[in-house]
Amino acid sequence: MSARPIGGPAPAHWPRPLRSARVLVGGGIVLSVLLGAIFAPLLAPYDPNAQDLLNTLVPPVWMEGGNPDFILGTDNLGQDTLSRLIYGARVAMIVAVLAAFGAMLLGTALALVAGYFGGAVDWLISRAVDLWMSFPPVVLSLILIVGFGVGLSNVILAIVLVDWTRFCRVVRSEVLIVRRHDYIDAARLAGFGHLRTLLREVLPAVLPLVITLLSLEMAIALIVEAILSFVGMSVESTIPAWGVMIADARTYMYQTVWGLVLPILAIVVTVIGFNLLGDGLRRTLDPKLLQRETVAA
Amino acid sequence: MLEARDLVVTADIAEGRAEVLRDISFRLEAGRLMGVVGESGAGKSMIGRLVAGMMPHGFAVTAGSLRFEDEDLVGLPRRRRQAILGKDITFIPQHPQTSLNPVRSIGTLFDEHLKRLGVAGAAARRDRAIAHLEDVHLPDPSGLLRRYPHQLSGGMCQRVLIAMAFAGEPRLIIADEPTTALDVVTQAHIMGVLGEMRARHATAILFITHDLRLAAQICDEIMVMYAGEIVERGPARAVFAEPRHPYTASLELANPTLTGAPRKLLSLPEHMPGLSAYAGLSGCRFAPRCPVADPDCAGHRAALAEVEPGRWVRAAGRCLGADLVGAAATVHAAGGRADAEGDARPLLRVAGLGKTYGGRRGLLGGRRGAVEAVREVGFELRAGEFVGIVGESGSGKTTVARMLMGLETPSAGRIEIEGADVTGPFARNAALRVGAIQMIFQDPQSALNPRRRIGRLVTQPLESGRRPMPWPERLERARALLREAGLPVDVLRRYPSQLSGGQRQRVNIARALSSAPKVLVADEIVSGLDVSVQAQILNLLLRLREESDIALLFISHDLAVVRYLCSRVLVMYRGDVVEAGATEAVFANPRHAYTKTLLAAVPPDDVNVDWNPAGISEV
Amino acid sequence: MGGEILGVVLRRILVAVPLILLVSVLVFVVLRLIPADPVSMAVPPNATRDEIEAVRREMGLHLPIIEQYAIWLGQVVQGDFGRSIAFGQPVLKLIGQSLPATIELAGLAAILATAIGLAGGLVMFRLRGGPGEGPADLASILIMSVPEFLWALFLILLFGVAFNLLPFAGRLGPGESAPAITGFLLLDCILSGRFATLANALEHMILPALALALGTAPLIMRVLRSSLLEVIHEDYIVMARLRGVPERRVITRHAFKNAFLPTLTLMGVQFGFLFGGTLLVEVIYSYPGLGNMMVEAVRNTDLPIIQGAALIYALAVMSINLAVDLAYILLNPKLRAAG
Repeated sequence: MSARPIGGPAPAHWPRPLRSARVLVGGGIVLSVLLGAIFAPLLAPYDPNAQDLLNTLVPPVWMEGGNPDFILGTDNLGQDTLSRLIYGARVAMIVAVLAAFGAMLLGTALALVAGYFGGAVDWLISRAVDLWMSFPPVVLSLILIVGFGVGLSNVILAIVLVDWTRFCRVVRSEVLIVRRHDYIDAARLAGFGHLRTLLREVLPAVLPLVITLLSLEMAIALIVEAILSFVGMSVESTIPAWGVMIADARTYMYQTVWGLVLPILAIVVTVIGFNLLGDGLRRTLDPKLLQRETVAA
Repeated sequence: MLEARDLVVTADIAEGRAEVLRDISFRLEAGRLMGVVGESGAGKSMIGRLVAGMMPHGFAVTAGSLRFEDEDLVGLPRRRRQAILGKDITFIPQHPQTSLNPVRSIGTLFDEHLKRLGVAGAAARRDRAIAHLEDVHLPDPSGLLRRYPHQLSGGMCQRVLIAMAFAGEPRLIIADEPTTALDVVTQAHIMGVLGEMRARHATAILFITHDLRLAAQICDEIMVMYAGEIVERGPARAVFAEPRHPYTASLELANPTLTGAPRKLLSLPEHMPGLSAYAGLSGCRFAPRCPVADPDCAGHRAALAEVEPGRWVRAAGRCLGADLVGAAATVHAAGGRADAEGDARPLLRVAGLGKTYGGRRGLLGGRRGAVEAVREVGFELRAGEFVGIVGESGSGKTTVARMLMGLETPSAGRIEIEGADVTGPFARNAALRVGAIQMIFQDPQSALNPRRRIGRLVTQPLESGRRPMPWPERLERARALLREAGLPVDVLRRYPSQLSGGQRQRVNIARALSSAPKVLVADEIVSGLDVSVQAQILNLLLRLREESDIALLFISHDLAVVRYLCSRVLVMYRGDVVEAGATEAVFANPRHAYTKTLLAAVPPDDVNVDWNPAGISEV
Repeated sequence: MGGEILGVVLRRILVAVPLILLVSVLVFVVLRLIPADPVSMAVPPNATRDEIEAVRREMGLHLPIIEQYAIWLGQVVQGDFGRSIAFGQPVLKLIGQSLPATIELAGLAAILATAIGLAGGLVMFRLRGGPGEGPADLASILIMSVPEFLWALFLILLFGVAFNLLPFAGRLGPGESAPAITGFLLLDCILSGRFATLANALEHMILPALALALGTAPLIMRVLRSSLLEVIHEDYIVMARLRGVPERRVITRHAFKNAFLPTLTLMGVQFGFLFGGTLLVEVIYSYPGLGNMMVEAVRNTDLPIIQGAALIYALAVMSINLAVDLAYILLNPKLRAAG
């Protein structure tokens, strides 16, 4: 008996995501910002906090009155905008990456436990999520910062404590779906304990979703940090951050609108990068979506 | 009425162009019931889709015509088709409950449909709707109008759909596997209703099904399809009683029977070719599997010829009317060792098993709102014995299986494996259980982790425990298991999605065997499979019993399959065991009313016996 | 059916009460962690040790934290939210003055977001399979990537500075006023017949509401579209077509309601976020609402206001969730029978 297997694609493997335009473009943007942040001291022409009171509110070099010494202009204290943008990327990326990972770890762990075990554990965790989500995230992070005090690590902690719920809720639904499949029971019947079943069978099934959410969460974390630094409740004032640049530039909006536009663009472009990356990953790693797009109705 | 002439449907697939339907010609006269019989993938549903104008992407009619009265349905303008559908041509779908909009009441749906049919006035429509619902014997029609689909059973939903289908006095109805998703008793009832309605309205019906026996009983004419071609066509009873094409004959011989002398099922190798294989089959598409094929057949394609008035067969020369019964003549004693040969200790003993779900503790200590899924189930299983549990959905049979496996904790009763008490959750006796009792799950799609290769899946039970087997040894064991299950070794490196349904089920079985258990529990493992594949799996189980004396608890709703495999049977209804005993005895002389109803609901094997499904009431 | 709905409402409110309590505990505890000393805000710089001690006792800060919480809770239930350290006025009064403005703003924004979101979702769905699908999808991602406060700034730059079309500060222009009947400006204008003032107020609200809406609408669009895509493959949709129902009706009468349900769930969550988004948008537009007050309070470490405002925000989000849950139950017959 020589049965021939029916043709069908092997499950999602790593080469596929790289073929998506969104993943490449989004990933490219994110990578550039990341590299800019890492190599800031090499790339930035000036010290971001160096004030030059003779050259305040200089417009960018392409505008009338621009100065080639300051390509993107300066702010009201004469600090070079370009350098501040590059150094601001550091805060942005550190917060985005660390806070997102933290929220992911906490949220996913609780989601796995809640969805897999069900019962009282699920009830407890779901009530905690409900409790947390009773607050608008902006308000909650603000309160947490008021409670903890300003500083980079406090900002990261605050974001983790606010956003784990987002992960938890979404991943939990997915875990519930996976849980219903017989292969989970089959693994238990094969003699695997709960922990091993959870790690070997359930976690890999939700991993694509988690990765997608991670990318989107980085965008959210970045925005929250920008909001906090806009109201002056993020990092110490000696550290340049994009939100702070926006807040400062707002007062001088009529004199030079570029001081406002440039940090806004920085935030928007980076967030677009994370969102494109996340959307691209979702499309390539979700087998259901793939099936639907190949077999037309 | 409906006439197809030399119809050809081609599809653009990766391997080129494949002729999905080839040389399709038939005539359905007004008021006649024609059955289209075939296994999944034969193309029988494609005809329905053609009528509906819902061809999948890349599929197109490249030759021939399909005429409904005077119009050719191929290439019909959308407007015209929309005018016909629902009025002159209507459909009865396969999945009744999901075919009704869940957020709209039955009344709203019916009202919209009647409005489309031109019935003016809301009150008039309501009255008409009630009348139609009464025609299909639905209780309390006016109350039903306010209900929603999720509040109705599958059978009731299907009756609503039948009522809507007949509402406009259509001339043609296409019923695509309308009873496949229903229980056997409900199926009989629905067939009764359908028969009544058809007699009253004299509508032509195209009845698509995979169940040859059912089609033979109720249809005037049947058309057997294989791999996109019609292989035989003629009056239903004649085709069934004397099949002329080897495929039709093997289909019959692959079907287990409920009555008559037991005989071994004929299992054809492999499975029906898929679209991608069509390009490579220039001659007879059945040749690779045909028991009477010779090397010429692969290059030669017979035409559909009228061998007798009204009998058309796509076969010539030797294969026409070939006698296959000889190939399957080995009489085999069903169930094997029905008599316990002095084996003192049963491998599995169950006593007083019960399971109650939910309910709140009442003020006075009782439980309110509790559901007793299983009550007082007891039996024994010895080495080499195959015991069957039959029942419909909701009978509790799956719960029994889950309790035996330790996936659910019994509320009452005792389970013993080789004398040791293992009542309770799996984890408590994991080590003992893994080596003693294993389960084969129903849905191979859901039971195999799609991200794992077969090689690792099949030896999963050997990875766990205190001393997991090292990989090289596991690989050897995997090869042996696949051989035992009749799978080629190169399957080891593949993923589940690359295998067919039958192959996945074999992998399932192989995995269950890997820890060398003494008892297997199989929960509806052949329900979703084609008849010929089902026969393969059943024969595999019999072979395993011969080789290793394994015991099997086989749960199914299919009585004939249980009769083929099992020496003893338990009949379950709503949580109770209503009848138990030796299979032949129970099926030949049922005592309990429910068992009698079950047996009466199965279409008889002998076509000359009159079957009256209308007399069966829905349980 | 009315009785069922009432039962559900009561049950949800009952469940909400312990939730509110827990929320208040959370707020209370977190804010007690602050490193800054609230007492130092309340006393003049040259106060003596005794005077500081006296103020401390008066504020109850010497008691164990559980007692402080109990006292505070007792006061809150009676409507006494304390007194603002910075303004010296009762917190409840301050909240009462600023909350209606925020509610109006959030309400207008929600209406805009729903309209844009649902319409956009239907359009994106219509474009499926055609050349417009990709660009529409990308456009929605781009819009979604700009957070609300940046939309707020961008809209100011565009309509306020560059084109000078719309005002972007405050609630009303100079010289305009309306009697404070309900506290809801738009309502007051209508009730007192001052339609010119109404127009002026709307002019001031349109930019911040639009900013908030643009932060929410793209997600609604995308979820509606993907829900419709899923629903369109369901058996009952196929069946409707087989009954000869025209395609347009299939989508509007059969597919839409089913696709709307998961969209509604998302909208509930998003509107909660939207309400929080008013915080920053109000600051940017100098709009005298709750958010503006809260940010001021944060800068001044004005604890009573922070606590009070936080509680109000939580109550608002819970009310929104309750309303959405009820709407969901009303629309989904499967839940109605089960209650």
